[in-house]
Amino acid sequence: MKRHCLAAAIAVLASGGARSETLLLGVNATLSGGGAIWGEGMLGAARAMADRVNEGGGVKIGDKTYTIDLKVYDDRYRPQDAVTAMDRLINDDGVKVVVGPMGSASTVATQARSTEAKVITLTMGFTPKAIGSALPYAFRPTITTTEFTGPQLAWVGAKLSPKRVRALLPNDETGQSVGASQKEAYKAIGVDLQLDFFDRERVDFVPVLTRILSQSDVLEIGGNSPTTAGLIIKQARELGYKGPILVTGGDVTAELVKVSGKQAAEGTYVHLPLDSGYAETAGYIRDFEAKYRKPVNGHNAFSFAGLQMLLEAMKRAGSVSDTTRIAAELEKVSAFPTIVGKAGWTGRERYGIDHQIDVPFYIGQIRDGVAVKVATCSYKSCE
Amino acid sequence: MGLGTVVAQTIVNGLMVGMIYVLMAIGFTLVFGIMRIVNFAHGEFYMIGAFVFAIVFDSLGVPVAVSILAAVIVVGLSGVVVERAIFRPFTGDELNGMIASLGLALILQNGALLVLGPSPRSVPAIVDGTVSMAGLVFSLSRMTVIGVGAVAILALYLLVVHTQFGRAMRAVAQDPEIALVQGIRPERVYPIAFALGVALAALAGALMAPVLSVSPFIGLTPTLKAFIVVVIGGLGSIPGAVLGGLLLGLIESAAGTFLSAVVADIAQFVIVIAVVLLRPWGLLGKKEREA
Repeated sequence: MKRHCLAAAIAVLASGGARSETLLLGVNATLSGGGAIWGEGMLGAARAMADRVNEGGGVKIGDKTYTIDLKVYDDRYRPQDAVTAMDRLINDDGVKVVVGPMGSASTVATQARSTEAKVITLTMGFTPKAIGSALPYAFRPTITTTEFTGPQLAWVGAKLSPKRVRALLPNDETGQSVGASQKEAYKAIGVDLQLDFFDRERVDFVPVLTRILSQSDVLEIGGNSPTTAGLIIKQARELGYKGPILVTGGDVTAELVKVSGKQAAEGTYVHLPLDSGYAETAGYIRDFEAKYRKPVNGHNAFSFAGLQMLLEAMKRAGSVSDTTRIAAELEKVSAFPTIVGKAGWTGRERYGIDHQIDVPFYIGQIRDGVAVKVATCSYKSCE
Repeated sequence: MGLGTVVAQTIVNGLMVGMIYVLMAIGFTLVFGIMRIVNFAHGEFYMIGAFVFAIVFDSLGVPVAVSILAAVIVVGLSGVVVERAIFRPFTGDELNGMIASLGLALILQNGALLVLGPSPRSVPAIVDGTVSMAGLVFSLSRMTVIGVGAVAILALYLLVVHTQFGRAMRAVAQDPEIALVQGIRPERVYPIAFALGVALAALAGALMAPVLSVSPFIGLTPTLKAFIVVVIGGLGSIPGAVLGGLLLGLIESAAGTFLSAVVADIAQFVIVIAVVLLRPWGLLGKKEREA
């Protein structure tokens, strides 16, 4: 018996086959402060992918099998902290792939470092500057306002025929870029969108709502954090506003309803990045929530989908470190089955590079606290 | 909506926000006036008060008045412990006391994040619905904040001006050594004064929980506002905190309604700078005698 065990041990050591290598995955996202809900979603996706790979015995890339180890940093929604985190990921940890950065300002602030170090980033930054021909290693596996606002508003315009629309947005990089794209999209449906900005830390919107609600027949609050959007809805309804509210922004429904309450949120139109009726999406949500006891939001699901595509690209490139080859293979991934549907990359026309995820998205209406799908959209139109 | 209606609405909005600023600032200035500690963890007691209220009122279904009382008592008692364990050694030591309070703020906020998670939670309104009068729409929940806040301020006024303990607090605030000569033991006044200060923050948190929402991050803005208010009103002055809080609430409301939210945020700092330049001791503060 002893002889058999010894022989087996020698065979394993000699082959080296059972010993797995480590694939380091960086996470640079907001894990505290106002944007923590989104950052926790991104971290949750990275953790879910790591657990899935590690529990399955690793992922085979080239002739080696890799398990995933996470290196996690909190940027506290501050660009300077995101830069520090990126520096540590690149220089101290030697990471080649980063889930993040999350916010637009953090994304822009870290670009020079990640590009110079040839680090692949899966950013959630909504700014149009997040990806581009000068950023060959930056990919965006989420649908941004720039992509969905046009088709979504064309659908809303046909349904509600709004004349006067006011938007409330934070006065930072995210708010300004979202406002600019919203204004352009509303112009396309014949509406001159009026923008009102506020400091991101603001929680009392009653003064500004008192002024603008009487001057609008539709209130647009896309581009705000779920907490802020929920507060605005709650306070607008308290002031007796009964008109439609649009949240032409990221996936905010669950957190928004938590803040505003079901009654105030009823009827609100929201961007719905996930179709919970799609089997793979439903399965992922069910498994994630059962295992981690946390809800799945858009940042979580899209980060996970981005990682699915990235691992496929690594397999095709046969490397976890040659990021130039991985980026080239990632760009070629098309109609790939992910948890959010068959995904590929687009964006050359708008950004000069095909690094923007291409998947269907949806318009939902909140009914009894849940977003119900009312339209299915591509980047061209909603039906 | 006519101009008169908008103005009236603006005043009510300003009074509600101002009332919360007053409750926050009184606690902040009370602790400074008596212990000479700038408590930057003050907003975290607001956050804890809001959470205690949310759990007791929403999750346990306890009546609203008892829930508010629970928030005030839990935070007040924790204030006694915090004063004894953390702040007592720094009494009179403004710089180190301030650093300790910053550390405490981080511990409390991140502790809440670990225990309660980052997700905000909604708390049902204390009083449902709105009241309409001559074109004005007021949320009953917000009107309740004004009412309860006013009662709390009146009660505090009576305590400070007309009770033996209130006189003892004022004596310690004016000069702890002279107070000691008069038979007042400052070390007995400190924990109660600190508890009273943070209990007021908890009351503000409990009142605002149903109006806004509750999360581990809600304490930062009230701390900043309390600081602005006491700079305007005069550090250590309770009447100054009342005047400064209501003034700030009304200015914010008016600027936000008639100009923009960004201008409202700028306006408050312009006022702070003007006060610091023209009247550094605040509107109702006492000018320190030069040596």
